[in-house]
Amino acid sequence: MRPFNHINANSLDTASELVKSGGAVAIAGGGDLLPALKDNIFPEYPKIVVNLKSIPGLDYITLDGDTLKIGALATLADIARSPLVQANAPILARAAGSASSPSLRETTTIGGNVCQLPRCWYFRKLNNRFDCSRKGGGQCFAIMGDNRYHSVFGGAGFNTDAGEKRTCIAVNQSELAPVLNVLTAKFVTTGRVIGNLDFFGVGVLTTTVLNRGELLKEIQIPLTDFAKNSRYKRFAFRKSIDFPVINLAIAVNSDRSQYHICLGGVAPTPYIALKAEELLNGKTITPELAEAAGIAAAEGAKPFEANAYKVQLIKTLVKRELLTMT
Amino acid sequence: MPNQPTRATLQSASEQAAAALAAMPLRPEVVSCPLCSRQFLTYSELSEHYAADHADSVAPAAITLNVNGKTCELIIEPYLTLKQVLQFHLGLIGAKEMCDRGACGSCTVIINGKPALSCNLLAAECEGKSIETVEGIAVNPRWRPLIDQYCKWDAMQCGYCTPGFLVSAKALLDRNPTPTEYEINDALSGNICICGTQPRHSQAILEAVKLMAAEVSENG
Repeated sequence: MRPFNHINANSLDTASELVKSGGAVAIAGGGDLLPALKDNIFPEYPKIVVNLKSIPGLDYITLDGDTLKIGALATLADIARSPLVQANAPILARAAGSASSPSLRETTTIGGNVCQLPRCWYFRKLNNRFDCSRKGGGQCFAIMGDNRYHSVFGGAGFNTDAGEKRTCIAVNQSELAPVLNVLTAKFVTTGRVIGNLDFFGVGVLTTTVLNRGELLKEIQIPLTDFAKNSRYKRFAFRKSIDFPVINLAIAVNSDRSQYHICLGGVAPTPYIALKAEELLNGKTITPELAEAAGIAAAEGAKPFEANAYKVQLIKTLVKRELLTMT
Repeated sequence: MPNQPTRATLQSASEQAAAALAAMPLRPEVVSCPLCSRQFLTYSELSEHYAADHADSVAPAAITLNVNGKTCELIIEPYLTLKQVLQFHLGLIGAKEMCDRGACGSCTVIINGKPALSCNLLAAECEGKSIETVEGIAVNPRWRPLIDQYCKWDAMQCGYCTPGFLVSAKALLDRNPTPTEYEINDALSGNICICGTQPRHSQAILEAVKLMAAEVSENG
């Protein structure tokens, strides 16, 4: 790594001010940031790394009435082990327990997992060799290049700081994003409260809608029916130390009037399968319905040259998981 | 039936570890500027020198690490990972660097009783935590059966990833002294062995568990 100064923040506000002033990045678990710094993928190498772990009291997992509150610095291992999470939101414990590897889960945090940068190989190429749109550059190299792990639901448009329109087809690879989406979590930042549908976004060097200097403080999960009857499934090429190619979370309320289905790894933001939800709402699962829902979930997919296999994966995963909910 | 481990190998493993631990500097012998090699008496003089002569450079930080039960005062660059500090400042070469991206587990150490990857942690953020490396495990007679069985079942080929596996295994046995094969494979799933020795690890650990349980009952 190149030289940088290291500052232990003592409150979120000071950390936020430092990051906002430029040239500084915040570090929580370091699972995403340190490899990025070693690979030197940022257009501007940060001069200061602000440690958030020194801020006291941000790694809690508590139950407040009907809401499960998780501090942004709670580690994935703590969430996976927590009896509170296991009893109230089992799919969250399961998803947290299947991310990366056991030793990495002990240090990486839930805040870092939902805010991690895309895993596109053009974006992550050593020494910033591809000036891609996600770094403020002109184009998305994956559209014409090797896109076997990229979006099947098209690219996402966004504006650079200078106001120019750009596209990116890298997927959101967060293990927890689909789960937090189906559980309708709320994201509390230093300035506001953001709902699950608005939190994830696409922008230059970000996968969320957080502004520069805005830091995630807490994730609130309402413990409704949805948290009780839910499923999580990931498809990855390796069991451990691998990002899911596709991960899927499904939740349903007790009278089955509403289904929540969210897929990760198929679109630039976690993909809500609205068509499948509409098809399923108010119905009990039968094998025919599960198959139809799988096809509905993949409706509108426009795969690129090398990733048509993901469409079949979506159909199969959705069908299989629905069949376990009969 | 695999061969009995040679005593010489075992002896040299724990002797090497003991020698490395004994040679670990507890405080820097000289406080010298990494940029111009000027020597100073204290850290505060060094930081004054930095402010005056190298204002644009990143000043070293003074930290205290608790490694294998010993408290070490260090003057390090704040951008060094724990793995680099263990190797270059403390001379502990047990934790190995393979991928350096948190994807292989060769650099596993135990921090506050939990396995963690030393290549993916900044040393400056480990202050005040208890760090245990493979050397600390190798010199402890309690873990002798574990190393013994690793040799006996030949759970290594080139041996580069073995310290990481051993530390993960020790962390597992600390919190679960009688693991099943499934639990062992699960706990070791963050370590990669390209030589393909994975099945031997669970075998060695299961045998070590039996031996350690027998030892405990013998000693009352």
